[in-house]
Amino acid sequence: MMNTAVAARALSLSLRYAEPPSFTSFEIGMLALVIVASAVGFFWRFSSVLRNIFSAKRDPDFHLSPIAKRVWDFFWEVLCQAKVIRERPLPGIAHAFVFWGFLAFALVSLNHFAAGFRLGFLDADGWVGGFYFWFAAVFALLVAVSIAGLFVRRFFVRPIWLGRKISYESGFIAFLIFGLMATYLAAFLVPATSATARGLWWAHALCILIFLPLIPHTKHLHLVLSPITIFLSRGEFSRIPPLAGDEDFGLVTGKDVTQLVALQAYSCVECGRCTEHCPASTTGKELNPKQIILGMRSYLNDLGPHSDEPLLGKYNSQDAAFQCTTCGACEFQCPVGIEHLPIIIGLRRGAVNTGTYEDDHGTKLFLALERSGNALGMSASERDKFIKKQELPIFDGSQEYCLWLGCMGAYDPQGREIIASFAKVMSYLGTSFGVLKKEKCTGDPVRRLGNDLVFQQLAEQNLEIMKQQKVTKIVTICPHCVRTIAKDWRDFGASPEVEHHSEFMARYQDKLPKTADGPEIVYHDPCYLGRYRGSYDQPREVLALSGRVIEPPRTRERSFCCGAGGGLAFLGEETGNERVSHNRARELAATGAAIVGAACPFCNTMLRDALAATSETPPQLLDIAQIAAQSIANQSIANQAAQPHPAS
Amino acid sequence: MNGVLVLLEHRGGAFNRMSWEALAAGQQIATALGQPLTAAVAGHELESLSVELASRKLDHGYRVEHALLKDYTADGYVLAFEQLIHKLDPAYVVLPHTYQVRDFAPRLATRFGQVLLADLVGLRKEGDGFVFVRQLFQGKLNADYRHQGAGPCFLSVQAGAFRAESLESGSTQVEIFTPQIEASAVRNQPQPPFREAAQTVDLGSAGIIVSVGRGIKEQDNLPMIEELAAALGGEIAASRPICDNGWLPMERQVGSSGQTVSPKLYLAVGISGAIQHLVGMKGSKTVVAINKDENAPIFELADYGIVGDLFEVVPALTEAVKKIRGA
Amino acid sequence: MKIIVAIKQVPVRDSSLHIDSNGRWIDEEDLSYEINEPDAYALEAALQLKEKHGGEVVALLAGPARGAQTIREALAKGADRAIHIECDDLATLDTLGIASRLAAAIKEEAADLILTGLQSDDLGLGQTGVVLAELLGIPHATIIMHVEVGSGSIQVKRELEDGWFQNVDMPLPALLTIQSGISKLRYATLMGIKKAKTKEVRRIAAADLPGAAAATITLDRVYLPEKKKETQMLEGTPKEAAAKLADKLKFEVRVI
Repeated sequence: MMNTAVAARALSLSLRYAEPPSFTSFEIGMLALVIVASAVGFFWRFSSVLRNIFSAKRDPDFHLSPIAKRVWDFFWEVLCQAKVIRERPLPGIAHAFVFWGFLAFALVSLNHFAAGFRLGFLDADGWVGGFYFWFAAVFALLVAVSIAGLFVRRFFVRPIWLGRKISYESGFIAFLIFGLMATYLAAFLVPATSATARGLWWAHALCILIFLPLIPHTKHLHLVLSPITIFLSRGEFSRIPPLAGDEDFGLVTGKDVTQLVALQAYSCVECGRCTEHCPASTTGKELNPKQIILGMRSYLNDLGPHSDEPLLGKYNSQDAAFQCTTCGACEFQCPVGIEHLPIIIGLRRGAVNTGTYEDDHGTKLFLALERSGNALGMSASERDKFIKKQELPIFDGSQEYCLWLGCMGAYDPQGREIIASFAKVMSYLGTSFGVLKKEKCTGDPVRRLGNDLVFQQLAEQNLEIMKQQKVTKIVTICPHCVRTIAKDWRDFGASPEVEHHSEFMARYQDKLPKTADGPEIVYHDPCYLGRYRGSYDQPREVLALSGRVIEPPRTRERSFCCGAGGGLAFLGEETGNERVSHNRARELAATGAAIVGAACPFCNTMLRDALAATSETPPQLLDIAQIAAQSIANQSIANQAAQPHPAS
Repeated sequence: MNGVLVLLEHRGGAFNRMSWEALAAGQQIATALGQPLTAAVAGHELESLSVELASRKLDHGYRVEHALLKDYTADGYVLAFEQLIHKLDPAYVVLPHTYQVRDFAPRLATRFGQVLLADLVGLRKEGDGFVFVRQLFQGKLNADYRHQGAGPCFLSVQAGAFRAESLESGSTQVEIFTPQIEASAVRNQPQPPFREAAQTVDLGSAGIIVSVGRGIKEQDNLPMIEELAAALGGEIAASRPICDNGWLPMERQVGSSGQTVSPKLYLAVGISGAIQHLVGMKGSKTVVAINKDENAPIFELADYGIVGDLFEVVPALTEAVKKIRGA
Repeated sequence: MKIIVAIKQVPVRDSSLHIDSNGRWIDEEDLSYEINEPDAYALEAALQLKEKHGGEVVALLAGPARGAQTIREALAKGADRAIHIECDDLATLDTLGIASRLAAAIKEEAADLILTGLQSDDLGLGQTGVVLAELLGIPHATIIMHVEVGSGSIQVKRELEDGWFQNVDMPLPALLTIQSGISKLRYATLMGIKKAKTKEVRRIAAADLPGAAAATITLDRVYLPEKKKETQMLEGTPKEAAAKLADKLKFEVRVI
C-alpha cells in the first residue's frame, strides 16, 4: 500500500523509469513460457503467409537495381512517412508518431525482456539509460495521444472509406498500444521496488506479447510487410510486367499470382485511401480497389498460389475489374506500396487473353483496332482527308519533330481542332514538324484492357513505321499516346523520344506571347500527364501566359479522372449512380472559372459533354494548345492594329 | 441461241416491282440486238399473274406451272428454268437481283457452265457484245465485265438501276410450260413465310434512320422529327444528350455508348457530330445532315447537307416526301 | 458434326483503294488484308454450332501465301484445322473456277455442313457458296439467320425481303450462306493464337487440283464511280432545299 508521502517522494525525487530490480525464477519461467506462446502464435500464422508469398511465381521482370531509388523510397515513404502524412495530414501525422514511437521503443522493449532474464542493459540511473528512457517517454506520450485520436476517428468520426463494418480488432489493438504506453509512462511515477512497478512491468510485457501474435492475423501485418513492399516496388508507376513465356496470359488463376502480387496483397492496411480517391468507387460503381486487393488476399488464404481456380469469380468480380479507368489514384495514394494497376490490368489480361471477357463494346473495340488500326474504327482515308484539308506537312525525316496525331487528333472533330491549334503554335515557334502518312493507334486502350495480342500487333507495326520513317522525336497532344510510346512500346523495341505538347510549349514559353489580365482558367490535370508522367507544372506555365490559373479542389496528384482512361471511353455506358465525367465537370464548373483548360483529347471529349449536361452556363472548354494559339492570333491582330500608324 | 429471256418474280399473287426493272434491262438488250424478248414466271396456278404478263409488250410469255413450284425452292426453280432455257435456248437470261434470285440463279447458271453476272448497275453495247457494269468494294469502285464464249449469259440487275417506267404495254400470248420435276428432286422443305413479331427497337437493321440531336432544343419539338421518320418509313434515333435527358429511350441512342447502325439513309437533324456519335453511324450508306452551323463536323461525313433552321427545313421535307410518296 | 467454313481474304474494309497501272484491278501494294466480314459471321456460326453440338470446324481458304494470316486468325478463334489452296491466279478465275477448286479440295472430307458468308466484300458476286453446293451435289440455302440441328437434317431460318422470314427443313449434308450481323463476332485472343500454332494446316497446290474451265466472265476495267464522296450542299430557302433533298432521296439514294 502506498501512502501520499511515498507518492510525493517518488514524484519529487525519483521521476525515473521504474523497473523491478529482480525477478524470481518462477517469474522468469512464466515469462519464457509466454514469450514462446506469443512467438508460436505469431509464426504459426506468419509462416503460412510467408509460404504463400515465397512459393508464388517469381516476377519475371524484377530487378533490385537501381538500389539508390529503393533506399530513397524506403527512407522517404517508410522512415519519414511522407506519403502517409501528405495525403491525410492529421491522421497521417498521428500514424507517423505511432510509427516513430514504435521505432524509439524497439530498444526499450528489447531491454524490457532482457531485464526479465536479468540481462537488462539500460540502466535508468545511468547516463545513457536515463536519457533514453526519457527520450522514449516523450514518444510514449505522443503515441498515446495519437492512438487515442485515431481511435476516436475510427469509432466516432468513422470516415466511410474505412469500411462500414466496425473493426473491433482495430479497437482492441489501439487499446493494447495505448496500454503499452500507459504502462510505460506510469512506471515513471512509482518506485522501482514497489509492487505497482512489478505490476506495470508485467502489464507492459503482456501488451507486447498479446499484440505480437495478433499482427499476422490482422491488417497490422503491414507493420512487418509494408516496409519490404515499399522497398521491393516495381520501380515505376503502373509498370505492366511483360508476359513470360507461352503459358503466361496475365492473372488467370492462383498459379499466375507472382511474389510481388502476393506480398502486396498481404501488406494492405485497409486504410481505404484507394477507395476514397477511386473514380469508380466515388460514383457508386462496383469497383473498389481495396476490395480487389483483399479479394486477392482471401484467394491466397483460401486456395494458395498454386490453385487452378480462376481469380475472377468468387474472390473478385470481372465487372469491377473492367470499371477501372486506370487513373492510378489508388496506386498513387497507397501508403504501403501496393501497385493496384498491374494487378487490375493483370486480371483484365487474364480475362481478355483467354477470351473469358465477353463484352459487346470491348469486342467491337478489339475488332476495330485489329482491322482499321484506330480505336474509333474510322477509315484511314478520313485521316488523309483531314491532313490534306489542314495542309499538315508529311514527315519525311528532314523535320525535327514527328507530330503524332493519335486517334483523337486524326478523327475526333475536337481533337482535330487541337491538332490544328498546336500546328499553329509550332509554326509560330518556327519548329519544323511533319505528320506520318500512316499511323496506327499506339495501343493504349488495348494495353489497359489487357488485350496483349492486339497491343503487340499495334506496337510492332508502329515501331516498324518509326524505323522506316527514321523518327527520332515525337510530340503529341495525347498523354495516353505519350505514356504508351514512352513506356509500353519498350517491350517490343526501342521507341523514339516522346513529349507531350504541354511540355514542348513550356520549354518555349519565353517565345510565346503573354497576355496581361487574361481570364481565369481552371486546369484539369489529366491522369496520364500528371500521375503517370509527373508533368504538373508545364501545362500550368503555358496557361499562365494567357490567363490566371486557378485550381479545382482535387488537383495535381489528387486530380480526379474524366472517366475515359483504361479503354473505358469505348466501353459504353457507365453503371453506378453518376458518370465520372459529370462528377468532375461539376467540380470544375463550381470554381467559377471562365475557361476549363484541358491537356488531353480524351478529357476534352468527356468533359465537353459533361459540362453541357451538368451546367446551365458551362465554362468554355479548351485545350492548352487552343488557348496558346488564341493568344498568338490575338497578338498578331494587335500587331496589325499597331502597324498602320505611319511615322509622320 | 437467240433472244432475251427475263425471269420474273412474284410473291403473294403479285409481281415484284424489281421484276419490271429486270424486264426493262432485258428489253434494252433485246432492242440493241434486235432479238425477241421473252418473259417467264414460275409457280402454281398463276392465272392472274398470267393476265398481267399478257398486258406487257413482249414477244413471248411463259407460265411455268407445276404443283412442286407452289412454294419457292431452289431445287424446283433450277429444274424448271433449266428445262425452259433448254427449250428456248436464249442468248441472255435476265433476272432481278432479289434474295430469291441470289438463292437459285448461281446454281442455275452452273448447270450451263456459266457464272451469273450479279447485281448489275448498268450495261451498254460495245462492238459485238455488251459491257456490264457492276460495283466492287461496296460501291467504292465500278467495274466493267464482259461475257466470254458461247452459252446463255446470266445477268441480275440491281434494284433501281433500270427504269421500269419505260416499259410499254401490249398484248402477249402467254404459253404454259410444264417442266418435269420429281418430288424427290426437291430436297428443301420450306415452311410458310412469317414476319418477325415486333421486338425491341433494332436500329442495327433499320434501313432508314432519322436521328435527332441537341438542336431540337425541347422534347416538345420531337413530334416534328417523328413525323418525318414516319413519312420516310424509318426509325427515329438520337444522339446521347437527347437520351440522357430521357426525351427518347436509351435504346434509340446512336454512338459509342449506344447502337452502331449502318442504314441505307441516315438523316442527322440538329446533330453537330461529336466523335462518340460519328463512330456509331459512320457505316451508313448515305448521310444527310441538317444543321444551322455550317461548320458542324457532321457535314464532313455527309453526302448531302442543308445549312438551315431545322424547324423550317424538317416540316418542308416531310411535306416534300409525302408528296412524292403520295404521287 | 464436321463443318467446313469457306473463307476469303479481302483488303481491309476501309482501305483507300487505288487503281493499278493497267486499270484492271486495284494496286495491291500497301494493302492490308483481313477475313471477308460475311465469312467471319459464317465462321462464328460454325464455332457456335460446334460449341453446341460438338464436332470439328475446318477452315477452307483459296488464295496466295498471305492467306496464311487469315487462316491463323480462324484457327485462333477456334477452328480445329485448315485447308489452304495455295494459288496466285485467283484474278484469272471466275466464280465457277474457284468453286471447282474448293469442291475438289473438300470432296474427300465428306463434311456434314459447309458454311460461307453470303458474299465477298471485294467482288460481291455472292455466288461461290451456291455454286459449290451445285458442284458437290448437295442442297443449299442462302442468307441464313439461324440453324437448328436435328438428326441427319437441319432447320434453317432464311431471311426474305421486307422483314419476312422462312424456316426451311433440309437434309444433311448441306451448304448454307450465313447472313452478316446475326451474332456477335468473337475477338482473337493471345491464347487462341498460341494454340493455333499447333493446329494442322493442309496446303494444297492449285496445280494438284483438276484444271478449271476457261472463265465465262472477265473483268475488263475498274474505275472510280462518277459520284464522288463529297458533300453536296443543297441551297435555297428551307422549302427549296427540302424539295431538292426529297428529289435526291428518290433518284440518287433511292429510298423513297
